[in-house]
Amino acid sequence: MSKTITIDELTRVEGHGGIEVILEGNKVKDVKFNIFEGPRFFEHLIKTMQYDKVPDVTRRICAICTASHSLASIGAIENAFKVDSTPQTHRLRDLLIHGETIESHALHVFMLALPDFLGFPDAIHMSTAHLDAVEAALDLKKTGNMIHTALSGRDVHGMNERVGGFSKVPSEDALLEIKEQLLKVQPTTVLAVNLLSGFTLPDYNVSDNVLLALDSGAEFGYLGDHILTSDNERIPEKEYESLTNESVNRHSYAKFSSYKDRPFMVGALPRLYFNHGKLKGTAAELYNEHGGLLDFRNTISNNLAQAIELVHDVEHSVKVIDSLIDSGLENEGLVDFEVFESRGINAVEAPRGLLYHDYTFDGEGRITKSNIITPTAQNAYNIEKDTRVIAGNLADKPVDEVKHALEIMVRAYDPCISCSVHVAQIK
Amino acid sequence: MSKPRLGIFSLTGCAGDQLQILNMEDELLDLVSRFVIVDFQEGSSYKEPGEVDIAFVEGTVSTEHDLKKLKEIRERSKVIIAFGNCAIDGCIQSMRNDQTTLAEKLQDVYGVEPGFFDALPSKPIREYVTVDLQIPGCPVEKTEVLKAVSSLLHGDLPQRYTYPVCVECKINEYPCLITEESKPCLGPIIKAGCNARCPSLGLDCIGCRGTVEGSETFAAEYKMLLDLGYTEVDIMNRLRVFSGELAAGFLGGNNNE
Repeated sequence: MSKTITIDELTRVEGHGGIEVILEGNKVKDVKFNIFEGPRFFEHLIKTMQYDKVPDVTRRICAICTASHSLASIGAIENAFKVDSTPQTHRLRDLLIHGETIESHALHVFMLALPDFLGFPDAIHMSTAHLDAVEAALDLKKTGNMIHTALSGRDVHGMNERVGGFSKVPSEDALLEIKEQLLKVQPTTVLAVNLLSGFTLPDYNVSDNVLLALDSGAEFGYLGDHILTSDNERIPEKEYESLTNESVNRHSYAKFSSYKDRPFMVGALPRLYFNHGKLKGTAAELYNEHGGLLDFRNTISNNLAQAIELVHDVEHSVKVIDSLIDSGLENEGLVDFEVFESRGINAVEAPRGLLYHDYTFDGEGRITKSNIITPTAQNAYNIEKDTRVIAGNLADKPVDEVKHALEIMVRAYDPCISCSVHVAQIK
Repeated sequence: MSKPRLGIFSLTGCAGDQLQILNMEDELLDLVSRFVIVDFQEGSSYKEPGEVDIAFVEGTVSTEHDLKKLKEIRERSKVIIAFGNCAIDGCIQSMRNDQTTLAEKLQDVYGVEPGFFDALPSKPIREYVTVDLQIPGCPVEKTEVLKAVSSLLHGDLPQRYTYPVCVECKINEYPCLITEESKPCLGPIIKAGCNARCPSLGLDCIGCRGTVEGSETFAAEYKMLLDLGYTEVDIMNRLRVFSGELAAGFLGGNNNE
């Protein structure tokens, strides 16, 4: 006898998606991670656009990862036209993407994921029993947005980070105010790790899990130019297509990513798998203390991985602010460069994983072709793998229990469904 | 008096407008305590059926699924507020509606035939239902949302901006980016309310709040940018981003690539 388990609309995730499982007896016959979000055709829309207007458009693929998209976009353009940005610009971009990660992780860890583990439908209901934690989480989230606003111009869809640098450099006073706030919220990041370490990881979601993340260089972070794989490969970002291998006609979706024909995971958990040795300070201490609780074969561990990253994000941001102030902030303007017929590719780590922008330009700097691959598009195939594993392990359990388990699993990826511009559902 | 029932709904888009509600970290708990929140997909698993007093709707109608959802929202809501530029004007995803067909877009990006996906040409919500009010922006401004909510709670209507960004630039005494730097600024035709944020950073307005209502100044802006030496392609790409079909409509024949 066949049975269908359907989650019509996943909640507490960004964008619109659902899950469908077809069971025959206790055997999983088919699974689907459905995307209801309409296709938005960004690669089509930016054709003929001048390079300098492109990041203003492509950052609007996603609100939560707007700076990750703009930085990936700017990076691809700078790679195309061989633009060397200044050391100050590098530091400011590093601070900006850490700010975005604070905002995004604080929202996800406390307000989207934690209610599952404490038994509430949302953070607002959760605040009736845990007001202090919810208020602290909001203050942490605000700190990420303060960085975003100071560097990018506002907390969603900013404009100040440009090809060649920053239009206006933030004042020393603005950075010092952010530093004070970072020091104030630091304990909240530790609270996040301690809270999530206290929950037993559900064991219904363990399976082989291929991991991909950027090599963040000497320090832990979200920028870099090589991708590491759990097959011990190290691939330059410009060869990303060998890692994402998009297929258009796989059962129900367009453009699923696979690596050597296998699903793979991107996000905080893979980043810690490869780069945890680069953590410093409290983040390193907490990783040593609780890192053993991370199961790299259980994607639900991504929640704790994000919490550990939050500790890093706050302490690292303080260090970047100190170094910016030490070297003296300068309104250095944008770097000059020439445009020519070219192609540029850039990868960054968005809060929810690897993100690629790839542009081809004509001799006047107008887009002729592009490809954008978002983290959730890459994770979609892995989410289906986990759906299959969970449905198989819990096949004899009541439907509501299976649904709840599936929701916890999908949410742990912190999916950004509107971001998965490549993934869309067949009628 | 019982609390008004508020729904925060989203169709196809980046979800940035409802994110702006979550971004009101200092006011969020107080704000939501004034309402019964009957639907807030991004923030909560809690949902209540039944009538909605105020529905915020963000995003465009881009699928049959969106359309069905929008019609259901209309049926159960007393007041629908188009929340952000997508819902009001169609924003980025509708910028080339009059230039390429849905079939061409599907072929170009996905390499598939029409009918393969549940997809409709992206449209603002007024194309399908009656819209009562609007809060502009890409994304909406947090302070404007708070003021609007406060007005509604007191039985008043939200403020509407009937003057362009240029006015805020002058009030702030920012140098004019058009006359001083020949930048392709859209300040003259775009709704104020952002306190000229981009010009404050030395950047030209890209039009994210949409055109001043009833604006027929597109042609003047177009001609001015042409006189400044910008090409038709670049000007149209710029005018289309947030005002898609409106720009093409106002400019009549000037809508080639």
